Amino acid sequence: MKISQKIINNLKSGGADFFLSVPCKLLANMITILENDKDIYYSAIPREEEGMGICAGAYLGNKLPCIMMQNTGIGNSVNSIVSLLQLYQMPVVFLISYRGTPGEPVGAQGGMASVTEDILNTLRIPMLQCNTEKDLDKISTFTNHAKVIESPVAILCNFNLMKED
Amino acid sequence: MNRFELLNLLQNTIQDELVICNIGLPSQELYKINDRPNYFYMLGSMGLASSIGLGLSLAVDKKIISIDGDGSVLMNMNTLATIGNRAPANYTLLIIDNGSYGSTGDQKTFTNERTSLKDVAIGSGCQNVIECSGEETNENLQKALVDTNNSYVIISKIKSGNVPIKPIPLNAVTIRDRFRKEIGLVNYL
Repeated sequence: MKISQKIINNLKSGGADFFLSVPCKLLANMITILENDKDIYYSAIPREEEGMGICAGAYLGNKLPCIMMQNTGIGNSVNSIVSLLQLYQMPVVFLISYRGTPGEPVGAQGGMASVTEDILNTLRIPMLQCNTEKDLDKISTFTNHAKVIESPVAILCNFNLMKED
Repeated sequence: MNRFELLNLLQNTIQDELVICNIGLPSQELYKINDRPNYFYMLGSMGLASSIGLGLSLAVDKKIISIDGDGSVLMNMNTLATIGNRAPANYTLLIIDNGSYGSTGDQKTFTNERTSLKDVAIGSGCQNVIECSGEETNENLQKALVDTNNSYVIISKIKSGNVPIKPIPLNAVTIRDRFRKEIGLVNYL
């Protein structure tokens, strides 16, 4: 719970005030925290691509949105990232549980893990890799950076970091 | 009645509401009929008009209308479940259901066959789901806009068909900024 709480605190101090999630076991603690947080908007949603649309609308209404999802969700969302968020220059923070990284017990997650960073690089989305608790201190500045550059940014939290929470 | 005629008719009802308009011909026709800064034209991301409008309605108090199409809703059908569970009272989804993918050459959609978006919307938890003819759309939209306690899904059944039209000359950031100015978020235009 300590790591999840720290991530949420840093996202909020960076300005994020509108949260969506598509579930992941590694995000479960964060989802519990958000469900009980009265300062921000939070909802679960069925699919990541739809979430990109909802985030775009929330940004138009002056929110700084954050969507939490597995890295698989990036695969579901490529067109909406490029031809909505990037085309209109909309800041959205992707908080990604990086399934398939070392420690992962499910072998099938390795496939998307092996292409996730290549996809984000191809999309020219700034990435923050969180491998240790200390890395989480960078989340606040990185969240605000999305707003400054009017672009989506991606925060990748690897398996071993999250599973210890 | 086709989509162009319906969009023309809606100009009697839509005033300062914030409108998110579906990609392709719906946006191009709306732009040609009556361009306004409170119209957000989608230039990409087919399927997400309802979602963008929903996100906006959760962020501001003004009335929001998402103008969507049957083909686009079929592409993002989970949106109806999210709307059914989360749409606030300032949100109206207007689905222009002409049974065809107009922008790509009028290929038929499944609403031409066995699929009823009204039934899907109701089954997804949406309340105040109204299916009507093009001619009845204005009165139902007016009803939705004056109701401050409920969200609506209006499915307007019309004929397929398009008018010859050009792409919208505005770039995306211009559309974004003049739209946000309508909400009071941009002061440099």
